[in-house]
Amino acid sequence: MSDKMLTVSSRRSRVLINSVLVVFSFFWIFPVIFALLGIMKSKKVYNLTNFWEFAPDIQLLENYRFIVEYSNILQGMINSLFYGAVGALIAVIFSMMAAYALAKLRIGHRMFWFMLIYSGTIFPFQLYLIPVFKAYQRVGLYDTRVGMMLFYSAICIPFAMFVLRNFFIGVSDEIMEAARIDGADNWKILWRILFPMAKPSISVVLLTQFAFSYNDLMFGITFTTSSGIKPIMATISTFQDHIPAMLLACIIVSIPSVLLYSFLNRNFDEGIAYTSK
Amino acid sequence: MNKHTTFLLDISRKRDYLYLLPAVVLVVGFFVTSIGYTVVLSFFSWDGVSEKVFIGVQNYTDIFNDNNFWISVANTVYWVVFSLLLNLVLPLVLAILIVQSVNSPLFKNIFYFPATLSGTVGGLIMVAMLSTYGIPQLFGLVGFEKMVRDWLSVPVVNTFVMIFMQTWRGIGVNLLLFIAGLRHLDRAPIEAAQIEGASRGWLYMKVIFPALSSTTKVVLLMSLVNSFKVFDIIWIMTKGGPYRSSETLALSMYIESFVRNNYGVGASVAILLTCIILIAAYFNLRNTFKSE
Repeated sequence: MSDKMLTVSSRRSRVLINSVLVVFSFFWIFPVIFALLGIMKSKKVYNLTNFWEFAPDIQLLENYRFIVEYSNILQGMINSLFYGAVGALIAVIFSMMAAYALAKLRIGHRMFWFMLIYSGTIFPFQLYLIPVFKAYQRVGLYDTRVGMMLFYSAICIPFAMFVLRNFFIGVSDEIMEAARIDGADNWKILWRILFPMAKPSISVVLLTQFAFSYNDLMFGITFTTSSGIKPIMATISTFQDHIPAMLLACIIVSIPSVLLYSFLNRNFDEGIAYTSK
Repeated sequence: MNKHTTFLLDISRKRDYLYLLPAVVLVVGFFVTSIGYTVVLSFFSWDGVSEKVFIGVQNYTDIFNDNNFWISVANTVYWVVFSLLLNLVLPLVLAILIVQSVNSPLFKNIFYFPATLSGTVGGLIMVAMLSTYGIPQLFGLVGFEKMVRDWLSVPVVNTFVMIFMQTWRGIGVNLLLFIAGLRHLDRAPIEAAQIEGASRGWLYMKVIFPALSSTTKVVLLMSLVNSFKVFDIIWIMTKGGPYRSSETLALSMYIESFVRNNYGVGASVAILLTCIILIAAYFNLRNTFKSE
C-alpha cells in the first residue's frame, strides 16, 4: 500500500501526528543524550554537576585512557568479535548441511530430525546453564576460548538451520536435477549451486547470529571467569565506580552491533524480521 | 533391482544422514542431554561440590512454600502482562503514526535504534540515568522531592521501571513488522471503505486491524515467549534485588544455582519456567508451521 492512502488530509491532524512522534522521539533518544553529556565529564565533575550541564572542560580522552588502562573492555571486545565470528561461521556451515539434508536429500522422519535440531531454540536457555557449566568444568572447557566458541556455534545452529531450510525448500528440484545430470554429487550441488543462491539468507543468518553472541551476557558470566577469556558483555557488566568512563565504554562496545544492524536494515528489509531468537 | 544396486543405494542413503550429523551432534550434546540432566537434577539436593542426594520432589515442595518464589512468580506475571501490552500497542500506534509522518525513515530509525544495543549496555545506561544524579533529580526541581530517590530500590516500582526500560529497547523489531504490514496491506478494501465515506475509526477497527491480524499474531506470540526469558536487563539493573524483590523466574533460577549454590533448587525453577514457556511456545510453533 502506498503511504499516501492512509495519509490524513487535514492540516491539523498532520501537525498532531508529527508532534506526537517528535515528543516520543525525544524520550527515545534521551538516554543517548544523557550518555553523550556524561562521557565528556571527569569522574569528579560528573558527581558535582547536574546531568544536563555541559562539562566545563572536555575529558573524553582521559576517560578513554581510563578504559584502556584500567579495564579489560578492549580485550573483551576482541574476545567477543572472535567468538561471534567463529561461532556464526561454524553454525552456518553445519546448518547449511543439515538444512540441505532436511529439504532436499532422502532422509526418513524428516520432521523428527527437524524438530530435534529446532528444539534448541524452543526451550528457555536457562535450562542449559547448569549442565553445560558442570560438563565444561569436568572436561576442562570452562573458562576457555574453545569452550565459548563451541557453545556459541551450537546455540546458533537451530535458528540458522530453520532459516536456511526455509530457503532450500523454495529452491526448485529442477535446478538440482540439471546439475546431477552434469555429474555433480550432493556435496558439489550444495556448495557450488545452492550456496551462491543462498547468499542473501546466509548473510542475514551470519550477521544476526554474530550479533546474538556478541550481545550475550548470561552465558558469558556463567561459563567464563578470567578477564582474558570473558566476552565483552560479561566484562562490561562489572564496570563500576567511574560512570563517565563506563558510559563511554557502553558507546564503544555498541559500535559493532549498531553498524551491523544498520547494514542489515538497509540491505534486508524483510530479513530483519528474523532477528529474534 | 539386484542386490548390488540396493546395497549402493543403501550406502548413499546413509551418506545423506552424514549431512545432519554435525548439527545433530552439537544440538544433542549441548541441549537435548542438558534438558534430561536438568530434569534429573531437579530431584536432587546438590551444592555443586559434595555428593548429590536424591530427595524426590522436595525441591518443588520447598519452592512452593517459599515466599520468594511467589514474589518471583508475581514479578514474572507483571513482566509478561505489561511488556506484552506495551510491546504490542506502542509499536502498532507508532507504526500507524510513522507511515503518515513527514519523514518516516527518520522516525523509524529513531525508534528502532535501541534494539541494536545489547540489554547489558541498555541496562548500564539506564542505571546511570535513574540514579539520584539523573532523572529523579528532574522531579525534585519541579517540586516532587519525594521522588528524588533510587527508584530501583523500591519493590514493585523497580519491576515496572525495568519493564519500561525493556520496552524502550524492545519495540524495534515489532515496529518494523507493523510498518511492513501496513505497507503491504491490500488497498482495494480500504479504498472501497473510503469511497463509502467510512470514518477513520471505523476504517481502522473494521478494515486495517483485521488485515494486520497475522502480523499481530506473530508479534504477540514472539513477545510472549521472550517476556518470560528476560535476564540481561534485570541482572544489570538490580540483580533481582533489593532483598530479592525484583526477581523473575529466569533470575531466580540463576541466583539459586550460581549465587546460592542450590543447584537442585535452581534446576527445579528452570523446569517450572520451561513448562510455562512450552505452553506459550506451543501456540507460537503452531502459528509458525501452520502452512506445513
